[in-house]
Amino acid sequence: MRETVITPASIANPKTHYGDAKASTRHFITQRVTGLINVLFLGLLLFIVVRLAGQDRADMVSVIGNFWIGVPLALLIAIAAVHMRNGMRDTLEDYFAGSMYRLTMLLNTLFCLIVGLAGAGAVLKIVFWG
Amino acid sequence: MAMSIIHRATGIANYAGMALLAIWLVAAAADQEALNLVNLVYGSWFGQLVLFGFTWSLVHHMLGGLRHWVWDFAAMMEPGQRELMAWATLAASVVITLLIWTVFVWMA
Repeated sequence: MRETVITPASIANPKTHYGDAKASTRHFITQRVTGLINVLFLGLLLFIVVRLAGQDRADMVSVIGNFWIGVPLALLIAIAAVHMRNGMRDTLEDYFAGSMYRLTMLLNTLFCLIVGLAGAGAVLKIVFWG
Repeated sequence: MAMSIIHRATGIANYAGMALLAIWLVAAAADQEALNLVNLVYGSWFGQLVLFGFTWSLVHHMLGGLRHWVWDFAAMMEPGQRELMAWATLAASVVITLLIWTVFVWMA
């Protein structure tokens, strides 16, 4: 993240090389690909929630404990966490710069790591240890 | 303009809402008592209100993302088409959310 003042002229002038050509393209493609995969995630999530909302532990273990439901669910939660971090990055880039951006981005990464690991970890725990 | 703001707002709501899913799954992985507490909170009127909002937020963000996917192919970008697609996603998100809750919650 650059510390210099950004003006419309510096963005319009290609010689300033405003932005990060490689990283920005990668973020864009990552966001579109993970976003499309998230459609599958919502489908599976709808099934899981409709089937298991308010149910007791034994019932949840019997459904999520199925390898072919639990493992894809864990994988899709991890992919959703990547999408979350990437999307929040876009927002943070708009409102913060310099050290404040790095701090908020660190918190963003931590939150997505915790949610992703806790969610996927809990599912995998149910799959492999009941 | 408004749709861009709503897309970002629903994205942030989904960001926070994913913590609710993680809490539910962690409680289920832990023990019955923790799960009972989560079921009590999520099953309360306030919990249901939040989950209803979360449902709409997820559906709307998904449709908004698909709209962006269409734009990536440089389609539906003309004036008129854009507004049509904006209203279509807004209407579809409300209809799909109400359908999900009617079929799976209120009538179940």
